Amino acid sequence: MAIVERPSPPALQLPAGPQVAPRPLGAFTRPSATTGWKSWLTTIDHKRIGIMYGASALFFFIIGGIEALLIRLQLTSPQGKLYSADLYNQLFTMHGVTMIFLVVMPLGAAFMNYLMPLQIGARDVAFPRLNAFSFWVFLFGGIFLNTSWFLGGGADGGWFAYAPNTGVTFSPGHGMDFYALGLQITGIASLVGSINLIVTVLNLRAPGMTLLKMPVFTWMGFVTQMLLVFAIPVISVALFLLTFDRLFGANFFNPAAGADPLLWEHLFWIFGHPEVYILILPAFGIVSEIIPVFSRKPIFGYPFMVASGIAIGFMGWGVWAHHMFASGIGPMSVAAFSLSTMFIAVPTGVKILNWMATMWGGRLRFTTPMLFAIGLVTMFTIGGLSGVTHAVAPADTQQTDTYYIVAHFHYVIFGGALFAFMGGFYFWWPKVFGYVLDDRWGKWHFWLQLIGFNLTFGPMHILGLQGMPRRQFTYLPGYGFEFWNRVATVGAFIIALSVLVFLINVTKSTRAHLANPVPVGPDPWDARSLEWMLPSPTPAHNFDTVPTVTHLDEFWHRKYQEDETGRVTRARPTDEVAQKGDAADVHLPSPSYWPIVMAAGLPLIAYGLIFNLGIAAVGGAIVLLGGFAWGLEPADDPERAHSHAAHGDGHGEGDGDGDGAGEGDGAGDGQESPEEPAAVAAGEGEGAEGDDS
Amino acid sequence: MKRILRPRFAWVMPLLLLMTACAQDAPQDTLQPRGPIARDIDNLSDPVFLVAGVVFVIVEFGMLFLLWRFRARKDDDPDSAPAQIHGNTKIELGWTIGPALILTPIAFFTIVTVFAIQAKADDATMTVEVIGQQWWWEYRYDTDDDGEADIITANDLIIPAGQTIELDVQSRDVIHSFWIPALNGKKDAVPGRTQGLTVEADEPGTYVGQCGEFCGLSHSYMRQRLIALPESDFEDWAAHQREDAQMPTSGDALAGAELFQTTCSNCHLARGINDEQHADALEQNDGRVLTVPGSAPDLTHFASRGAFAGAMFNLWVTENPAGVVQWDEIGGELNREELEAWLRDPPGQKPMDAVLDSPDSRGMPNYNLSEDQIDLLIAFLETLD
Repeated sequence: MAIVERPSPPALQLPAGPQVAPRPLGAFTRPSATTGWKSWLTTIDHKRIGIMYGASALFFFIIGGIEALLIRLQLTSPQGKLYSADLYNQLFTMHGVTMIFLVVMPLGAAFMNYLMPLQIGARDVAFPRLNAFSFWVFLFGGIFLNTSWFLGGGADGGWFAYAPNTGVTFSPGHGMDFYALGLQITGIASLVGSINLIVTVLNLRAPGMTLLKMPVFTWMGFVTQMLLVFAIPVISVALFLLTFDRLFGANFFNPAAGADPLLWEHLFWIFGHPEVYILILPAFGIVSEIIPVFSRKPIFGYPFMVASGIAIGFMGWGVWAHHMFASGIGPMSVAAFSLSTMFIAVPTGVKILNWMATMWGGRLRFTTPMLFAIGLVTMFTIGGLSGVTHAVAPADTQQTDTYYIVAHFHYVIFGGALFAFMGGFYFWWPKVFGYVLDDRWGKWHFWLQLIGFNLTFGPMHILGLQGMPRRQFTYLPGYGFEFWNRVATVGAFIIALSVLVFLINVTKSTRAHLANPVPVGPDPWDARSLEWMLPSPTPAHNFDTVPTVTHLDEFWHRKYQEDETGRVTRARPTDEVAQKGDAADVHLPSPSYWPIVMAAGLPLIAYGLIFNLGIAAVGGAIVLLGGFAWGLEPADDPERAHSHAAHGDGHGEGDGDGDGAGEGDGAGDGQESPEEPAAVAAGEGEGAEGDDS
Repeated sequence: MKRILRPRFAWVMPLLLLMTACAQDAPQDTLQPRGPIARDIDNLSDPVFLVAGVVFVIVEFGMLFLLWRFRARKDDDPDSAPAQIHGNTKIELGWTIGPALILTPIAFFTIVTVFAIQAKADDATMTVEVIGQQWWWEYRYDTDDDGEADIITANDLIIPAGQTIELDVQSRDVIHSFWIPALNGKKDAVPGRTQGLTVEADEPGTYVGQCGEFCGLSHSYMRQRLIALPESDFEDWAAHQREDAQMPTSGDALAGAELFQTTCSNCHLARGINDEQHADALEQNDGRVLTVPGSAPDLTHFASRGAFAGAMFNLWVTENPAGVVQWDEIGGELNREELEAWLRDPPGQKPMDAVLDSPDSRGMPNYNLSEDQIDLLIAFLETLD
């Protein structure tokens, strides 16, 4: 019998040349799929992760919205009997937890993940696998929290979970365990993600992109990450203490053992107040991108916009006890926090006025994103003003724990953050997916949402001032609460209709695009920042060549020339400035199984702590082993993922990538990418030097 | 055709706020002070609302102006752009400092008011312990200053009108919050702490409020009533409250009293009726009456109150448009239907995890009383005036 020697399959061929990546075990092959649903499970591409954050957030938004509608149905009439007080308490608790932790925070994460690397001219974040890990941990944490509905009941102590009501004595079911452990898990996601983005912004900016040339959105995202890094550990501590009280018989919040329940309040609000700035700053950033584009003017007062964001970040740490004006903290503390709360209105007011000044003298195009951005400015103003009335502590002792507060925070979170995120969807949709959402349907979405929102939450100011407390499963007739509650319920269903319109818009626009794809081009809005320089949808490798930045609004300055008086003339057509997206062999970080595997261990630990320690041990083992696998897997797979992946095309030679170890393989390539031809980089403000190319 | 944004409800908001100030059937209205402290708060917050209203108008109408004045025209050259103004440091400094200057007097008067309200406690002529628990309020007076409470009531907090009263707000279980909007803001009842809340009513009258901190299942049904009486009426009330109840001598009331002794003594005390049985129950329960469970309102003068079940239900029929029983209606026509329903099945009326003979029971359980037993009890309870 002849021995036939067949060549080894390509996957086992070792690359020739000096750089040989070791392949310890076949099991640690890095995944190679770049298309198909499996590729989404192993992706470490910040853009895909951003998309998944956004889709998950929208899914949880539907859940939280249904919880809201159920709440409103119960409160339509006095002494409503739709469901028990117990179920109602679960509904409002889960509504709050879902909307804050599983909707608004991940929506911010979606935009920040997708856009921040692009806006600073990077190829990805500093730690791509960690980025994927953050997402999967968030998703599994959110799912874990919601399985409480099927495993004994949702959390029922309010989203703020005041002790000792949330201890085992007064909340004997598992709901609060799901709360404590679920938020602990999602906290890990945020904390890890914040470190990632901070390092990205500090280390991975394109050449010439100084901090003060970063777009306002990236700045607001950066401040948000700094807030997260310091705020999440505080809630983690509080949740650990609560978990130990509930599961292991500790007494951190047990007054009978000498504990002071105000400890929980302080810990929670020291986290909770920076948390609300975490919710709103990305939205402020989005509006700071949209308004200049549709006013055709730069953001007015960039230094003040950046500085006010930083100021809000710092001052946000000094106001937490304004949530405790009635808790018995004493007049000195009340006075001090009253003052600090009033003055944090100043940097926010600066932003509102600067946005309006951006529009002054502009040429305003009322596209859907612009309408939503204007929505934030007008609605957040109302919420901010009611916030100032809360800062007056004696008045707040009347207002706190009433519907006046409910009105305030919905105006700032929904009227503020959510309007901005909706605007952001319409604005960046073409960049992400390659087609625009229908603008007429978008306008219907906007108007229905605006009207529904104001009908729902406007009357709550009145209800609160008339003395209707919050967190009430019902109210008595004759106290003057009936009429406005009814109005609010109608409004809530109009909001639901607007969300439906949005979903229909997404479906219709997607179908129309699939049936008849028309390239939307890199820059459908004539925008200003670097992401618009790239093809739509963004290629996997982001930039063909990493741009050298010489201006704030770098992309705009490549298209237009500005003289000293601010007059503008067109310098180059967009298709000359925009990149083609056709760079081959850009080295990208490889996908990995281990982020999702490790993330899956965490909810198992949590289920185990509640039900059976054996499950927790399994979860712990998965996390541990997953961590080792993560650390030991080859940094580079010889069958590397490339932006134009073609298996076996003989590209085994080292691509000049000397750092075989660790993460951030592709992201730090600034110095290795070819420099841009000097003519492509923006000229100085005076005018193009020499010839245009 | 480009549509201009018109926030339709912008102009309505200040109007609506005005409307609330005139609402008649709004017994918990925070904008109609009936006592000096609530008035201090109102006098401070009214100008602040006004300033907020002015800022609102400037910003929102300013925005409307911008949208109209600077809208893009159809014939704009797509390759041109308006003058690219990057900022104006003077203006921006102006609108940083300006709002700070507007806030400064607000801050000043806020601090003055915080300390002025705090100082009112020093003028108090009387102190009442206000103790919250799931889901009712207990009031304890020490009228003879001997360190021991001599009047223990629930639901209706009776005070003399025109005097400053200091409330020592406490809790026996979770955090609650005592609040009578017409007289003052709220103060949380935190277990393990005693916090002060000062109230004073200008005139005699009945003022109502609700628990202002989420406290579990029946947070919505934990209410409080405050009745301010002319001083001599208050003295009469207090003297009567110090007396024990009279054991009925015959008829349904006597049978009801005996039923009360055997059935209700585990939790309730009516001095002069079931002192012995209650003390026995206390001993058996290791003195647990001051902790949850086992603790229930003192019923010695039950029929002198306007409401029951944590002030969730009226004890008497009322003509008041908001359904608030007034002082002169107490002792009038009994609200028999709701009292019967309560005795028939308390957890069916008010959400509570109340289970008979369970150590974890919270609130009043269902004793499966027969209709006859309910009638007897009511006949007895009516004598506890």
